[in-house]
Amino acid sequence: MWVPPYVDAEVSAAVDSLPMNLNEHGYDPWGFHPETAKPLISIAKHVYRYFRPRVTGIENIPPGRVLLIGNHGGQFPFDGLVLQMACLLEANPPRWPRAMAERYFPTVPFIAEMFARSGVVLGDPLNCKNLLEDDNAILVFPEGARGSGKPWAQRYQLVDFGRGFMRLALQTSTPIVPVAIVGSEESIPSITSARPIAKLIGAPYFPVPFLLPILGPFAYLPLPTRFHLRFGAPMRFEGRYDDEDAVIQEKADRVKQEVATMIEQLLAEREGWFA
Amino acid sequence: MSRSTFLITGFAGGLAQNVAERLLATGHDVVGVDYRPVTELRAGLGAVPVHRANYNKTAIEAVFKKHPIERVLHLGRVGNLSEAVGKRFDLNVVGTQKIMDLAVQASVRRVVVLSTFHIYGADPANHTPIAEDEPLRAGVEFPQLADAIQLDAMASTWVYRYPDARVAVLRPTNVIGPTISNTMSNYLRRPRVAKMVGFDPMWQFLHEDDLARAIVAAGCHEATGVFNLTGDGVVPWTRAAVMAGAGIVPIPSTMAHIAIRLLSAFPSYLINFFKYPCVITDRAFREAFGWAPEVPLDEALRSTVAAARTHQRA
Repeated sequence: MWVPPYVDAEVSAAVDSLPMNLNEHGYDPWGFHPETAKPLISIAKHVYRYFRPRVTGIENIPPGRVLLIGNHGGQFPFDGLVLQMACLLEANPPRWPRAMAERYFPTVPFIAEMFARSGVVLGDPLNCKNLLEDDNAILVFPEGARGSGKPWAQRYQLVDFGRGFMRLALQTSTPIVPVAIVGSEESIPSITSARPIAKLIGAPYFPVPFLLPILGPFAYLPLPTRFHLRFGAPMRFEGRYDDEDAVIQEKADRVKQEVATMIEQLLAEREGWFA
Repeated sequence: MSRSTFLITGFAGGLAQNVAERLLATGHDVVGVDYRPVTELRAGLGAVPVHRANYNKTAIEAVFKKHPIERVLHLGRVGNLSEAVGKRFDLNVVGTQKIMDLAVQASVRRVVVLSTFHIYGADPANHTPIAEDEPLRAGVEFPQLADAIQLDAMASTWVYRYPDARVAVLRPTNVIGPTISNTMSNYLRRPRVAKMVGFDPMWQFLHEDDLARAIVAAGCHEATGVFNLTGDGVVPWTRAAVMAGAGIVPIPSTMAHIAIRLLSAFPSYLINFFKYPCVITDRAFREAFGWAPEVPLDEALRSTVAAARTHQRA
């Protein structure tokens, strides 16, 4: 794919330092291609800086395979991008968590291609298992589209966590690092989802921002809110991965509780949306 | 392995003759059969008895009566969609069943059925890589693949129904090579190929020599089951096209169905392979048969195209 001939030196050095499992043509089986990804990630760095993130606890990411489990919000997946960039630019050594994307994305032109080249994969249990067994870091938002599509009134209220990530963690003995993200929900405050439009384009939801009457399409650009990211201590779980739903759900809920607690801390600590 | 007599179907094709040469070279006997006339025969195959018989008609019975067939390599699946759907069904489903019945009657010791990875279908919900026990999605959108899916499903049940016939079903990825003239290799030989705007999924290829060696390995060994097969090197479609020396024409995916039909005789079920990934793993085959591909990807692509260019000049 065509990418602008622009590579940030810091991004380039970080990407080059990543442990990677590429074939002789420079690709992994999912289509990740670091040389194409570098310009894309270089642009993403500007988005990252735009949100002026405050990152704490990033040293909690253990080496080797790890599941990063975060809260999803803010209509567009800027939270995922900021989290990935934090891991690449702030973690030592740099990590590039492979994000698990909603089933909708592979059907969208350009997004499909950009995501694949920059290492985002379809959120499928087998994709996740294969990547964990390769000792990757994986980013999962267990709330999925139900989380990112939350309207303003439900901001920072976690919806149910799925059980899939917990089964995978147990099956592959992967530690879980809970992550709280604050600032995302205020970036594109939205009243509701326009269901007919979402249905028309096959998207899980279609946000209607508060500022749409005033700003028109510009309302879909995120406000420069400050993002706060907190990485919790790694949680290690034991037990059968094919256990009863209730047993797995109890474990998943412990992660959810950890994320919720950190969100509360961050909300209490911050001094305003933009500060 | 002691000397055996192999029946090979699809003998008019380059692949079947490639396999035959290798078997003859290791001291086996080969009988060829095809529903098409076998007009070109490789130099070394002059002594091979070749029969023309529809797989679903009585003529095929005579072939089994005439020769002491011990092993069957059924490579003659009709992939060419220009054959009417009814004829393809007769040849692929009814014909394959007939060959299996005859093989069981003749108490053969080995049956290898060549299927295709196309039956998995390229789908946005596909994970990577796809193993043998996963759903065959292609039929959902493209019912014209019904015969290929049924052939594969039927052959897969024989693995358990006829344990003595020791059935192995092979699902190779895109087969290419100088003597192959299937849809994909012919498409790669065009000066320009289409790319869907905003999509560039990962592709795999398998060179005919590697496939022929895999079929020989499967034909001469015992392991039964369903096996994917692929060469090394997964690359985006456009990268493969560049390696093959083709120019790339971007086409909006909404227009693709029309455009691809106008540009070439391209079957619609393949269109999704230009949008969504269908990457398979053949670990099971490599472990069972100790096989590994030898032709590097770029050489496989180059040789496919170079052969055609020389051919056109000649």
